[in-house]
Amino acid sequence: MTTRTQSPKISVNSVPNPYLPLPMRIERIHVETDDEMLKTFDLAFAREEDAAGFDFRPGQFCEISVFGKGEAPFGIASSPTETGPLRFTVNKVGVVTTALHNMNEGELVGLRGPLGNGYPLEQFEGHNVVIVGGGFAFTTLRSLTHYLLDPGNRSRFGEIIIIYGARRPGLLLYKEDLAAWERREDISVHLTIDREAPGWTKHVGFVPDVVERVAPSAESTYAVIVGPPVMIRFTLPKLRALGFPPEQVFSSLERRMKCGIGKCGRCNIGPYYVCKDGPVFSLAQLESLPQEY
Amino acid sequence: MKVLTQAQLNEWLNHLAERFTLAAPVNVQGKLLYRQVDDSSGIAWGFERTDMSPKTWTFPATEPILIIEQGAETRLDDAPAPAPTVVFGVRPCDARGALAIDALFLDKEPSDGQYARHREATTLIGLACPQMWDSCFCTVVGGAPNSTEGLDLLLTEVDGSDGAAYAVQIISEKGEKLAAGMPGEEKGVSLPKPRLAKGLPTLPASQEWKAQFNETFWKQVTERCLGCRACTFVCPTCRCFDVRDEVVSRQPGRTVLQRLRAWDACTSAPYRRIAGGHNPRPTQHSRLRNRFYCKFMYYPDDFGPLGCVGCGRCIEACPVNIDILEVIAGVEQLAASGSS
Repeated sequence: MTTRTQSPKISVNSVPNPYLPLPMRIERIHVETDDEMLKTFDLAFAREEDAAGFDFRPGQFCEISVFGKGEAPFGIASSPTETGPLRFTVNKVGVVTTALHNMNEGELVGLRGPLGNGYPLEQFEGHNVVIVGGGFAFTTLRSLTHYLLDPGNRSRFGEIIIIYGARRPGLLLYKEDLAAWERREDISVHLTIDREAPGWTKHVGFVPDVVERVAPSAESTYAVIVGPPVMIRFTLPKLRALGFPPEQVFSSLERRMKCGIGKCGRCNIGPYYVCKDGPVFSLAQLESLPQEY
Repeated sequence: MKVLTQAQLNEWLNHLAERFTLAAPVNVQGKLLYRQVDDSSGIAWGFERTDMSPKTWTFPATEPILIIEQGAETRLDDAPAPAPTVVFGVRPCDARGALAIDALFLDKEPSDGQYARHREATTLIGLACPQMWDSCFCTVVGGAPNSTEGLDLLLTEVDGSDGAAYAVQIISEKGEKLAAGMPGEEKGVSLPKPRLAKGLPTLPASQEWKAQFNETFWKQVTERCLGCRACTFVCPTCRCFDVRDEVVSRQPGRTVLQRLRAWDACTSAPYRRIAGGHNPRPTQHSRLRNRFYCKFMYYPDDFGPLGCVGCGRCIEACPVNIDILEVIAGVEQLAASGSS
């Protein structure tokens, strides 16, 4: 008789369930913005052994479960260089996020991750980094900034510039972090709001215009830009005019990811899956793809 | 090669039904579906193409992927393991469909545990097609009416001395195990050659699809798409899914929930909408175009196999006569006119 094929091709004994979340306890809830639509959740591992195996990098995300309501993806806002709980900032927009907003400290949620690729930190080494953020998309940029500023990492990067805008002062995230960074010598922080507001002495205007005004040099510099699609659309030409080639510009995309591991199909852009091949892409990569992002 | 008479096959299937969950094509109110049968008498013999593929047995339309118990403490568990199952009467195209899904769910890390348990628990007994039926185009996408790929056993109908008889090809180790103790007698038989369809287009290569992405052709083809998702639900290779939670039972102090996955379709509008309402694929034509590109460019580029096995069900199911063969022929023509 001829040789027999194996079906299916791989041995599937005891394949673990990739949809099994880790139990996490909500350690602290902090209202982040004055419209109360954004809350920051600090999540601690309910089982100590889970914490040890959890290694992540800035720019990665997790799927957070509210049991009975479902799962949704959120960028990790804490940095691996910070000890303590994992931090997520959640905008109240749908079923899962509303349920999360209604939860209390001490309650249990599920967490799967870390997922996705994260920012290309190795590539940034030895170069300047310009961080451009808009609105509530600053989450993984907070992680990135903390990582870059960590005493163990700071010397491996050049100049660090942050340009961060929100509609009004009360909508800026992480105000304590921003204030601390503004006091530092080794990072320059440019905050902007859309329109004049009482007591506001910093930039006024949209992020793309502030990028033009601050005019960071493209020489040996990587730009990371995360924000609403319209901000990204109008900022990219400004970066291009400043001489940033598409290989030196990175963005993190938001998609309605369900599985987070490249199976469910929802987040494809051409042959890429945002959850697995992203969410961080270079502009050069994005330009080679169908314009569906 | 072992040859079974119809009576012997019936007897063997009856025996299998005692040991396994036996699924086979069944006529359910005029639709041919793979359903559990108690014995061979429930099988819709003489069927051509079933209305749904046997994918329902390895990737059910809705199934739990997680059980959540909330009480004094919260417990998270795998979904119950699937029962050992034999699917009889699998057409060769559908078996290739299973291989296409394997390439993503099993071969790409991390493996999908629930799907893996289904595949492990399921044995596929094929029934070769004597011919390509209306809308069939397996030969365009690398298959054949008598292909053995992905099957554990393949039965081919041959002329018997009185009535139908079936020649048995043992394809896999799993099939060999199942066939141990099968009735019938060893005979020298030559398998009939299936009748192939003529005048079918040639499938353009992946890079030729890429070059046609922005053609107005797509608007013309997909203009009438209703976004009804029928094509994706009948497809043996479509594997997109949605995830949602459901309450199983609620008692004082103890709630049992299940996290379900359910088939989803890239051709529907809410599929891509993200929090806040932004939809990166805002038009119906961009959504249906994505389905074709997934099948013939993205899926093979990412995972190996084509995302289409030529079963032709989407052609039959489409309420507005969108024909995947016309799409293939159209891209073939565009590619030819572009290069001349």
